Amino acid sequence: MTHLAIRTRTTVAGPVLELTGELDHASCSQVRDLLPGLVLHRGQQLVIDLAGVTFCDSSGITALIAARNHTLAAEADIALAAVPHHIRRIFSMVGLDQVFAAHPTARAAEAAWTPPAPRP
Amino acid sequence: MMCEREDGGSAEPPFGEPPLGDRPPGEGQPEDGAAFAALLEDSAEDLYEHAPCGYLSTLLDGTIVKINTTLLDWLGHKRGDLVSRRTFSDLLTVGGRLYHETHFAPLLRMQGEISGIALELKAADGSRLPVLVTSTVKTGGDGQPLLIRTTVFDARDRRAYESELLRARTQAEREREELQRLNAVLQQTLLPPALVKVPGLDVAAHYHIASTDKVGGDFYDLFPLTGGTWGLFLGDVCGKGAAAAAVTSLARYTLRAAAVYDPDPAAVLSNLNTVLNHEYNGEDPRFCTVVFGLVTPAERGGFDITLASGGHPPALLMSADGTARYLPTPGGQLIGVLPDAHIVTTTLHLGAGDTMLLHTDGLTEARAASDSLRQEDRYGDEALLDFARGLAPTTPSGAVAAIRDLLDSFGTGVDDDTAVLAIGVPRPSEEHL
Repeated sequence: MTHLAIRTRTTVAGPVLELTGELDHASCSQVRDLLPGLVLHRGQQLVIDLAGVTFCDSSGITALIAARNHTLAAEADIALAAVPHHIRRIFSMVGLDQVFAAHPTARAAEAAWTPPAPRP
Repeated sequence: MMCEREDGGSAEPPFGEPPLGDRPPGEGQPEDGAAFAALLEDSAEDLYEHAPCGYLSTLLDGTIVKINTTLLDWLGHKRGDLVSRRTFSDLLTVGGRLYHETHFAPLLRMQGEISGIALELKAADGSRLPVLVTSTVKTGGDGQPLLIRTTVFDARDRRAYESELLRARTQAEREREELQRLNAVLQQTLLPPALVKVPGLDVAAHYHIASTDKVGGDFYDLFPLTGGTWGLFLGDVCGKGAAAAAVTSLARYTLRAAAVYDPDPAAVLSNLNTVLNHEYNGEDPRFCTVVFGLVTPAERGGFDITLASGGHPPALLMSADGTARYLPTPGGQLIGVLPDAHIVTTTLHLGAGDTMLLHTDGLTEARAASDSLRQEDRYGDEALLDFARGLAPTTPSGAVAAIRDLLDSFGTGVDDDTAVLAIGVPRPSEEHL
């Protein structure tokens, strides 16, 4: 049986989702179901920490794309943290490495975030 | 707990109803309580005779010595016909009697009790009554068995319920078969019924279905374009089932139409990207990875091929000289989720004895060794390249047959559908065979 654990925490930069386990067709809905309830302000950054993800298939990628669409709709940004080697390979295969900003750790992603300029 | 004496006279109320004094207060007025107690006192015999289950006492040889009215009514027998004249076994059907002899009675002797056994009793009118039977052996003070007491529950409703369950299960199995048949038909509509014949080109393809319960999202096609050129594609829609099949269908027809409009492979995939991106975005994104090829007969013989890839695993070239290599298209992006997907093209010349193989990642994602889901236990791109090196030089039908065998060797390790499409130019000697 596949299993995915999701831990959500909030930083000044925005929410951080820590995923642990397998991100596949059986578990990707867990991520997608969580998205509508995620509080994201304009200019904030959603960080998805993949350090604990042991497996990711095309459904897992779909969940990450859904997360990206959700943040873009909120005029926010998305960044991945601690992308394991095997996921980085899939990402470069499907060209998503050019779409998602990636950082070595969630802390680095938070540090790289710049607060949005106030609206004129 | 049954009555102490088997002659029907009972000194104590059966079934251990608590004395009225033990009942919680407030269940009625004292006068009513007394009346109720009297009713209970009276009802010991009545309760035995008209209990909602059948009672039966037999001697150790099975001879019926006592039977209650409920059971007599169910069976339509008179008391005098049974008591001292018939055995419990006489009430059973032939099959039940056999079961009684071989299992029921020996177990009862051994354990002193046996419960919840499903049997059928024969009624006087020949009809059968499904029942659940529980028996205990009553022993005397010296531990010697004296009697067998048996309760009989009417299991007609239960039997009807079981029949209904069985019927529902049969129905569900029929529907599942129907669904699998429909899936197979739907799958067929997503694939070309037969690959077209291209003069001077050998073609072979295979579609491996991982699950008959869900339609997979892999697709391929080879079709003529104007000016003696040919289009081919092979792709993989993320996900499974009806929703994925809808995307597959849309992708297939869009690819063919777009190729007629502008056969440039990058333009074809850009058009597909626009169509899918408009159709599916937001919280339910759908994407596919796909390779599109334009195949043009070359003046020097063989074919010139332009391949465009949208995030798809690279094509494999197994050359006439016995080498094998991937034809990488780095940076190509999956189709359908980004407004301006980056599409990368590569060109090659397919000469005599060369074979090009397109595949979906069901092959490289197959669990080669164990049931593990860990990425490192997957078959992988490197293993496939080694496999191709072992095959080269080969032919399309030879390569596809080898991949089929490889997939078969993975057994249930293939989680996802896998499509392979191979094209190759026959060597002059093969052409005339």
